Amino acid sequence: MASGKPIVALTGVSKDYHLGKVVVPALRNVSLSIEPGEFTVIAGPSGSGKTTLLNLIGCVDVASRGTVLVDSHDTGKLSEKQLTRLRLDKLGFIFQSFNLVGVLDAYQNIEFPLLLQKSLGKAERDKRVRDLLDRVGIAQYAHHRPGELSGGQRQRVAIARALVTQPRIVLADEPTANLDSHTGTAILDLMQELNRAGTTFLFSTHDPRVVSRAGRVVRLIDGEIADHDATVGERSDIS
Amino acid sequence: MILFRIALRNLTSHKLKSLMVGSLLAFGTFLLVIGLALLGTLDVSMEKSVSNSITGQLQAYRADAKDKLAIFGDMSGGTDIGTIQDFARVRQVLEGHPDVQAAIPQGIEVAMVYGGNIIDTKLEALRQAEKAGDKDTSAVVRAHVRRIVGLLAQDMAKIGEVTDLATASTETRQSIADLAVAGSDAFWQDFDKDPLAAMEFLENKVAPLALNAEMLFFRYLGTDPARFAQNFSLFEIVDGQAIPPGQRGFLFNKLNYEDMVKHKIARRLDKMKDRLADGYTFAKDDDLQQWVKLNKNQYKEVTYQLDDRAAKLVREALQQHLGSTEVALEKLLPLFLDTNDTNFATRYKLFYDVIVPHLMLYAVKVGDNMTIKGFTAAGYPTSVNVKVYGTFRFKSLDKSALAGSVNLMDLMTYRDLYGYLSADKKAEIETLQKASGVKEIKREDAEAELFGGGGEEVVDATSPTPTDAPAEATPNLAAPAAPKGSMGERAVTATRMYRDELAKRVYTQAEIDAGVVRNIAIVLKKGVDQRKAATSIQELIDREKLGLKVVDWRTASGFIGNFLWVIYSVLATALGIIFIVAIIVMNNSMVMATLERTKEIGTMRAIGAQKTLILQMFIAEAVTMALVFGAVGAAGAGALIGYLHVKGLPAINDVFVFLFAGPRLYPFISWHHLLISGLLVSLVTLISTLYPAWLAMRVTPLQAMQDAE
Repeated sequence: MASGKPIVALTGVSKDYHLGKVVVPALRNVSLSIEPGEFTVIAGPSGSGKTTLLNLIGCVDVASRGTVLVDSHDTGKLSEKQLTRLRLDKLGFIFQSFNLVGVLDAYQNIEFPLLLQKSLGKAERDKRVRDLLDRVGIAQYAHHRPGELSGGQRQRVAIARALVTQPRIVLADEPTANLDSHTGTAILDLMQELNRAGTTFLFSTHDPRVVSRAGRVVRLIDGEIADHDATVGERSDIS
Repeated sequence: MILFRIALRNLTSHKLKSLMVGSLLAFGTFLLVIGLALLGTLDVSMEKSVSNSITGQLQAYRADAKDKLAIFGDMSGGTDIGTIQDFARVRQVLEGHPDVQAAIPQGIEVAMVYGGNIIDTKLEALRQAEKAGDKDTSAVVRAHVRRIVGLLAQDMAKIGEVTDLATASTETRQSIADLAVAGSDAFWQDFDKDPLAAMEFLENKVAPLALNAEMLFFRYLGTDPARFAQNFSLFEIVDGQAIPPGQRGFLFNKLNYEDMVKHKIARRLDKMKDRLADGYTFAKDDDLQQWVKLNKNQYKEVTYQLDDRAAKLVREALQQHLGSTEVALEKLLPLFLDTNDTNFATRYKLFYDVIVPHLMLYAVKVGDNMTIKGFTAAGYPTSVNVKVYGTFRFKSLDKSALAGSVNLMDLMTYRDLYGYLSADKKAEIETLQKASGVKEIKREDAEAELFGGGGEEVVDATSPTPTDAPAEATPNLAAPAAPKGSMGERAVTATRMYRDELAKRVYTQAEIDAGVVRNIAIVLKKGVDQRKAATSIQELIDREKLGLKVVDWRTASGFIGNFLWVIYSVLATALGIIFIVAIIVMNNSMVMATLERTKEIGTMRAIGAQKTLILQMFIAEAVTMALVFGAVGAAGAGALIGYLHVKGLPAINDVFVFLFAGPRLYPFISWHHLLISGLLVSLVTLISTLYPAWLAMRVTPLQAMQDAE
């Protein structure tokens, strides 16, 4: 599985934020690559730059210096429109607070990215959505709106939405932060199971449970990678 | 489409807000559709009223006219629209155009009429009685005339009380002196010695004193009556007959005739009857009460006209009806005219049955000759004598004061009255004037004519006018140029006789057409597009160098045509305000919604939605809103218009009768009203979406992760 080109490759990436005249460095000279099939966690305390790193990889922000390659595309050289397309086709997003579209039901939320892609017909879309509803275990809630679902169920919908386009990598920003430990564990079980089935995951978290499940942990302190490539804890079943 | 699904969901999930904004939109649409439908219907009904009664679909007048043509008058008052010298040629050109059914010559002026006067009438009766040797009648009439002289003297005396006679004009003092003479015993004792002289004195000195109060002002339309009647479908004769083709004559508008010419008390009683029929009561209605007051105060309108025999009959009838022993009519009549809800019907009948037969019900009767005074283009006073053939009305507009304001006159008389002369005709007239010797007529001859006996010879002797002489060659028209005194009694009398001859003349169409008119009504053939016709007729006119401009009936009718624009502006203002409020409210609520939805929009952007999709989403929402609530408003408007279409919208007053082309307006909606409304409402909604949509497009995917750190 870990073959060919990496899905994500960061080389000497720095990111500065400008707060008025003060320049706040969020990331400093980070280099990192993610191979297909990884189940990687970016860990670190608040303000260490986890989310910034995830945003750069998620193509919702661009680096101040250095290069970010996502699926071999240099995100610094793409237009906003192209970045959006890249997100749509190659990336899946799971948010801390689920971020479902409130007026759409579970099915419609999951189907939404496919509608944006406009590449699949109705029947294919339906098959994919139903398949995912099954896989994340919420088939019976297909026509419930997010307001009618529990946190765990919502996150399952969000996971299904992230997977529906069959992205190269799923980025999950603190996916368990808003869930109780029991539900969080169940969600992690689900993601691990999906990872075994071939989906690459990249988390940002400071939740030790997530870290303990990671195949690989990238520790960030003050915008720098503290123990580069020093993988700790149990790995996922990647080789 | 997912966008509409999201839009609809968004609208339904914010029900209260959607409803608030939506009801504004629905109300706006409702007003818009109603307004457009009413305006559209009004336009059609006004076209019917205006173009089928007087203006025709198009009007042509001098391109270099100083003022704008305003058939129904305008606010400025000045309507110098110049003159069209050669109507015959213009008619030939215009009627050669394939769209034109007829070109009707017109000219509208204001004139005065000395309404038939009670002394005139009585003097005429006296003449008849004298001629027939009927001593009894003569005595009664003489007594009546003397009584009128007495009443006039009383009125004069009142003037004397309020003004210092020493400073009064010589005219006033002369009048008082004349009335004293006519009221003296000596005058009446000597009456039989020289009845002619006595009557001439009464006619020339006394009658004018009563005349002044009877002067009527009215508007008249000079035209070719036969062709007018043929081409204006709303025109119809009510009383009497049409002016015989080619002849001179006058037709009163029925409403004008009733309002201006009818005996005032009788007219007021008629109006009371109409108003009572409309459900008003004396007890509650101010107008009715006011009319009763006026009737009671103006009882002299009746007593003036009653001679002793009639007065006796009326007195007895009133005494019996009122159960009174009062002998003075001056007291009985006000009592009688004090009508109320219980006695009106019987008193109305009694008035018509007992009193009216002794009254001059109309100051000018159908069949009478009437003298119309006017001013020539050059500003000199002129007068013409013309026969009143009848009254007419415009169908379904009989109650409209506007449609009723214009009377009809033949073109020949019109040209005379207005003194339209072309250069060559002026020369002709001078020759005719010398030849006719009108001013040389002897007083004796004139009066011999009045009492019959050799009248024909007198006319023949005094008017050796060749039969092909232009109508304008009336000697009277030379008056402005003639020395002072030519308008004196003798000349007037002679002129009258000359005109009697003119009145019998039948003019050929060529004679009628040859000459001056002021404006031309262009009646189009059925189904012709008005605008296209106007353009192509204007082109024809320009090619033929006629120097005319063509305007449509709206423009031509003056302020009444502007009326539509007034309604348009009122509607536009009201809608403008509503829509601006709607835009502000909608914009506001959508901005709020956008802020609330920042995260949702950010998420959509993060998972791959392009900016344009966000814009489309907002547009979809706006369009859904506009469609749904626009449809609700339009449906409401449709229902109301549908109801009105069946029931009719009643005209609240005379002006609206005219605008509605009848007592009720039956509005209808046409598809383009709906289309315009739909487009406008969508536009308003889109405008209110612009700013929130712009805000939404600026939301970055980063904002989806706001709570991540």
